[in-house]
Amino acid sequence: MIQNYLPFLIPIIVLELILALSALIHLLRHQSFRFGNLFIWIIIVLFLQIIGPILYFTIGRGEDA
Amino acid sequence: MNGFTAFFKKEWLEAIRNYRVLLLFSVSALFGMMSPLTAKMMPDILANVKVEGMVLKIPNPTFTDAFVQFFNNFSQMGMALLLLVFGGVLSQDLVRGTLIIPLSKGLSRHAVILAKYTAALTLWTSSYALAALIHYGYTLYLFRLVSVKHLFFSLFCLWLFGAFLLAVLLTASVIVRGSYGGLFVTVAGLGILLICQTIFRMERFNPLRLASENMALLSDKAAFDPLLTIAWITAGFILAALILAMAIFKKKSI
Amino acid sequence: MNVLEVRHIQKNFGRHQVLSDLNFAVSEHSIFGLIGKNGAGKTTAMKMILGFLRPAGGEIRVCGENVIYGNTATNRLIGYLPDVPEFYGYMTAREYLTMCGRITGLTKLQTHEWLQELLPLVGLDGIKRRIHSFSRGMKQRLGIAQALLNKPRLLICDEATSALDPKGRKEILDLLSVAADQTTVLFSTHILSDVERICDSIGLLHEGRLALHGKLSEIKNTYRKETVRIETLNEAQARHLLECLDARSFIQSAERSQSSVTVQLHDPQKNGLKIIDMLSNEQIPILNYELLEPSLENVFLDVIK
Repeated sequence: MIQNYLPFLIPIIVLELILALSALIHLLRHQSFRFGNLFIWIIIVLFLQIIGPILYFTIGRGEDA
Repeated sequence: MNGFTAFFKKEWLEAIRNYRVLLLFSVSALFGMMSPLTAKMMPDILANVKVEGMVLKIPNPTFTDAFVQFFNNFSQMGMALLLLVFGGVLSQDLVRGTLIIPLSKGLSRHAVILAKYTAALTLWTSSYALAALIHYGYTLYLFRLVSVKHLFFSLFCLWLFGAFLLAVLLTASVIVRGSYGGLFVTVAGLGILLICQTIFRMERFNPLRLASENMALLSDKAAFDPLLTIAWITAGFILAALILAMAIFKKKSI
Repeated sequence: MNVLEVRHIQKNFGRHQVLSDLNFAVSEHSIFGLIGKNGAGKTTAMKMILGFLRPAGGEIRVCGENVIYGNTATNRLIGYLPDVPEFYGYMTAREYLTMCGRITGLTKLQTHEWLQELLPLVGLDGIKRRIHSFSRGMKQRLGIAQALLNKPRLLICDEATSALDPKGRKEILDLLSVAADQTTVLFSTHILSDVERICDSIGLLHEGRLALHGKLSEIKNTYRKETVRIETLNEAQARHLLECLDARSFIQSAERSQSSVTVQLHDPQKNGLKIIDMLSNEQIPILNYELLEPSLENVFLDVIK
């Protein structure tokens, strides 16, 4: 049955990957966090679909200073 | 006017470079795609979860289920996202002192408030519209038939609630100090509205209904007229909040 | 003409009186140094000139116009460099300056043309990095560039050099000297050597008011102490010199530290010769004979004593 929906699932998966990857790249390049550490944030960003990257970008990442 | 335009542009640049645009647009697009799809796939998903000795009887999903998903997603996670993304909208500027230079260059304080609100509102509007369009297209394709009453008005109500949230957030950020002061006050305010609605049944003029009765509107279980009144009242609240924000901000020590 | 007039300004934070009765004026094309200890109220005074703080009393005029707290129209005449300027870190210097130019009312073309001049002047030409990666000195120079964007009549710099290393300090002071050809500068600091280097008039802020106010050269003359320092070859000679000096009537005081003697005397031009006569009569060889210039530091310490 999954096959039937595949054309619909692919864009969703792609978008989720874009979110997760941009968060991952950002956090690996900056490595500064308001709280938590690198390891925790990698886990959150990769394994919490959608919510992980949202949390990282809104409250997790450190200042650009 | 120059000041407003320049500051509005700066707000958008900030939204792009601080990943606000990425977050709002991608999450909105995801909601738009996922809501109809989840509704459609629900029977198959549940069929896979076999419970011994139980036969799950699931009625065939219709487009209404798709809308249930959409409104659920947006009234909960969507609003939470909006609060998270715009939580520091003015507070961060005030805490870090980044407004001092633009203000010393003659930027009017009204322009700061208006540019910030307009920028946040256009971002919210465009991402919400994107989600609604994708959702509508998917629903049309997956369920063929879409015929509901007050569809546009129902979608509009949720959008208006988002606009209301942003106005409250901005005003609270003017009044309360600290990086997240405005956010906390807004969340507390939402809590009060929720208590009013659920416990004290104070519903007649409660803006919260704009985000909780969208489905009822579609299925004609909620009357159109009272919600229209609330929509007008909420628009009034937004206007009042902005005027208040400007008046207080004008006299604020920077 | 006075670009800035501050009259009877008062300000308190709660019970703490920061400014009790501040009066001063800055005349056109001068560099005015506002000196004071940390916490003397320099930043407070400047923020009131910009309309960011409400004075408890008194009035401020910029180019004859009253400063109004809140929406402050006089700011179009002012360029302001805060002590630690905060920028939007995600912008480039050019983007930031373009935004400021538009805010201050320049057209796109004007801003562009002016930036061609301004960016090389502050040494930020061709730097495409975002501001969050800038050093303190670069941020301070960017701060000067934005302050000069609207070709202000009055440039206000709050502790512009305090947080910088010597090289960065020199850069900023040189920039300010260049800027002073076009505009009037109000410069606050607690670093006296910076004041001596570029300012032509000063005001000394102490206990909520200006304890001293005027042209730097005049103030130095007024506070000139007639002081001579004589260095001998060894301590025994210095001791001998001290004994001889103590006997003379025109000597106010004499002090010895190791092999040098510091003398305060009346009329050093006439009486200085007597000292030299005495040195040769007593056969005291010297290494150095020096008329001491009054330093701003001495003046400063004298006034706030």
